[in-house]
Amino acid sequence: MIDIREIIAVIMIALGILFLVISAVGMLRLPDFYSRLHASGNSETLGMMLMLLGFVVYEGANLISFKLIFIFLFVFIGNPIGTHILSKTAFKTGEPVWTKDKEGGGK
Amino acid sequence: MKARYYLKLVIFLFVFWILLSGRFEAKFLIYGVLTSLIASYVCMPLLMLKSADGKNEYFALDFPVWRLVLYCLWIFWQLITSNFALARAIVSPDLAINPRVVRFKVEMDNPMALTVLANSITLTPGTVTMNVTDDGIYEIHALTDDAADGIRAGDMQRRVARLFGQDETFVMLDGADSADNADRGEKGAAADGAGSAEGGMI
Repeated sequence: MIDIREIIAVIMIALGILFLVISAVGMLRLPDFYSRLHASGNSETLGMMLMLLGFVVYEGANLISFKLIFIFLFVFIGNPIGTHILSKTAFKTGEPVWTKDKEGGGK
Repeated sequence: MKARYYLKLVIFLFVFWILLSGRFEAKFLIYGVLTSLIASYVCMPLLMLKSADGKNEYFALDFPVWRLVLYCLWIFWQLITSNFALARAIVSPDLAINPRVVRFKVEMDNPMALTVLANSITLTPGTVTMNVTDDGIYEIHALTDDAADGIRAGDMQRRVARLFGQDETFVMLDGADSADNADRGEKGAAADGAGSAEGGMI
């Protein structure tokens, strides 16, 4: 007899892995530095969140779950800061923005 | 006023201590109270933030907790829905993206509110904060049309202003790319001066 909690946990972890894979695909397919940041920074946050929530569901309500939630909160606060620092540095050093009508950069 | 901030910080750190240690013997609780007191004494100068003109001082954690919880729930929901949209754009065969730079200005005195807004925008997929100036001008890189429209609607700006009890002063400045501005006619022409200055910088 499989526990219903385990099924939910597995579904959440699988979804998390799916988002991590999509983030990797986006890294390869998107055209320039800024749009790649979208893929690496954001899909990863959601993938991480789903995986950790899956662990929390699997673990049940105890102290380890709280610690997992703390890990998630730190990623939740820290990940956008890292993304922002990268994009700000690129912006300050004049990295061109790829747009649809002018391929290859510039504005 | 300052005592209230100390109390808030000490309670916050003590709850954090209990959750991490998970033990309720008197020895550990006393250790916890002492460390919380020392840590908040050391950290308090770092958490008092000066506004951009240096006139006012704000405590970094000075907002109602229930509003923060509501805001976090809303952000989670945004994170999930827009991430699905972004994932669909990434895996679609023709790569349905239309990157552009969107600019807007908010006038909020509290530096923590500016930080939270920049962080929330970066966290929402499809938009990344590229630059924030001291005057509160945000330069956002939007990946898809929907993401840019979300910024233009100004929902997030309003929510952050409400969270920190600031006046909502949200003005859209149009981006430098004129092709994007064609559909908004006179608004694009009005911001042309700002646009060309921007183009020179890049």
